[in-house]
Amino acid sequence: MKRTIPLIITLLVGLFMIGEFFIPHYRYRIWTAEFLEWGLILAAAAFVLGLVNLVQVNLPKVLRREEDWGYKLVMLLSLVLTLIAGFLGGDARSEAGHLYHWIYDFVFVPLNATMFALLAFYIASAAFRAFRARNLEAALLLTAAILVMVARVPAGENLPVIGDILPRIMNWIMDVPNTAARRAIFIGAALGAVATGLRVILGLERSHLGAD
Amino acid sequence: MIALLFLALSAQAATPPTGLTVQAPPHDDGLDLDLAWTAAPGSAGTLVLRSETGPDGPWLVSAGPLPPSTTTSSDRVSSDPRTHPPAEVYWYRLVSLDADTPDFQAEVGATEAAQAQAQAAYAQALVQAGAAGPAVEGHPAASWFNTSLGHLSLLSLILAVGGLMLWFTDRARKGAPTFIRRIPGIDAIEEGIGRATEMGKPVLYVPGIDELQDIQTIASMLILGQVSKTVAEYQTELIVSCCIPMVREVADEVVRAGFYQAGYPDAYNPRNTRFISSEQFAFTAGTNGIMLREKPATNIYLGRFFAESLILAETGYVNRSIQIAGTAEATQLPFFVAACDYTLIGEELFAVSAYLSRDPRLVSSLKASDYVKVFIVVCLFVGTLAATLGSDLLVRLFTISGG
Repeated sequence: MKRTIPLIITLLVGLFMIGEFFIPHYRYRIWTAEFLEWGLILAAAAFVLGLVNLVQVNLPKVLRREEDWGYKLVMLLSLVLTLIAGFLGGDARSEAGHLYHWIYDFVFVPLNATMFALLAFYIASAAFRAFRARNLEAALLLTAAILVMVARVPAGENLPVIGDILPRIMNWIMDVPNTAARRAIFIGAALGAVATGLRVILGLERSHLGAD
Repeated sequence: MIALLFLALSAQAATPPTGLTVQAPPHDDGLDLDLAWTAAPGSAGTLVLRSETGPDGPWLVSAGPLPPSTTTSSDRVSSDPRTHPPAEVYWYRLVSLDADTPDFQAEVGATEAAQAQAQAAYAQALVQAGAAGPAVEGHPAASWFNTSLGHLSLLSLILAVGGLMLWFTDRARKGAPTFIRRIPGIDAIEEGIGRATEMGKPVLYVPGIDELQDIQTIASMLILGQVSKTVAEYQTELIVSCCIPMVREVADEVVRAGFYQAGYPDAYNPRNTRFISSEQFAFTAGTNGIMLREKPATNIYLGRFFAESLILAETGYVNRSIQIAGTAEATQLPFFVAACDYTLIGEELFAVSAYLSRDPRLVSSLKASDYVKVFIVVCLFVGTLAATLGSDLLVRLFTISGG
């Protein structure tokens, strides 16, 4: 019973939501919009559970002074401070001059940008490994990467002799082999997605459900 | 202001556009009407007025001012049919603007209702000044089934996949053998769990950073069910790092079920299924922290990833973990290929849970999408040939429009 009822609900709701694509009538879409709103309400409720989980995982480690407990304390204090700032500001919390806005502009945005900027260094280290010409495939990858990278910078276009040809080679690499490979991935992934969706809706796939 | 406008317009009303037609678009949800007209010569712009009550108004400005070269417009008669269901008939009139026609200026700080009232008065003044053409009625038409060629083709493909899947499953149930090629990346998942067990270190599972309704996240949850079962059988620790609270709740249930099915419900630790942050890079920093502090022997990244993919995978590489990744995001695949030991590309991600389950019925269901793939490849060849010969039938067959 514990498995049968979720399977029936999945089948009915799944087929109903697929129907939205083929049934344009606004009366039908009122119901699908209603289901999506239920999903949003559940997702909002899950944020409270996420908050509880954060505290459950990190607070005991702080209380027991486990390794790196200081970082967890900073995280928990930031959580509480941001929460209080959000409540203090009310509806106007996102406007300039409010603590919540200040935290966003001067703490959150720089930290986010810092993490994103790290990507440049990670790309360099990953590219160094990926572009080592150890075999034919890696050599081809290296050659294509060099051609595309050189053609994409202004200096590449100004190179003597090959400056005119490079952008055409780059365009060919991007438009022909690159696009063909991407489309193959997209088609395969789309069919895989349809098959996975149908396996779940038809109840063939049950690994996500608990035992009876 | 309205009186002044009336006087200004009475003095010189421009000739309105002619030949207005109002039609419901095909396969519509019943909330749109398409308008077309012939522009008035010397016009500086066009206003579209709509009435829900009758050909005598009251009128509302539904679109405009439109540039003089524009001769078509689409009107959405209701933005929320739950609170404002569409009427059976609407009336439209067009107003030609000249350079002297005053623009409608909304009063700063006015409420939405006050603005609507002022706009209605503005439209009414334009009509009374004789600047509007004749009223034309239009009937919205809601369709119960989209019969366009593209939609029918897609429905046929979905039915074909579903039908073939049921047929192959039925064959497998009767004992027919099913061959499926070996996928090293999937085999490596069990090897990775074994390695973590030998080293006495945890396995880290990251189900991407997208919402639960994304099909890649759903596939990842299905795989997590199999992975947690194997982890429980090996008596190893499994840490699941989640970016979305809803995903954490589902992952928690899935891992609990996996441990239960493996016969080790007591080994399940709910504190190992963690919500980190719903912000992309805060989540990345938190997950990197888990890697560097708890030193998992195996990192499994399966789901939908964006810019964080390489930051995660490079940290795992520095940590000397075995790394298995899988995503259908074509832009992130090169990063995973560069930094991980095994990468599942596109459709392979969707095959993992069936492959890991070793259930012949599930494995045989993979065959269905393979057959449809063959059909699509044939269509691509035929379509290329047909397009070369000047026929666009296959292009139309697979073009999805509207809906």
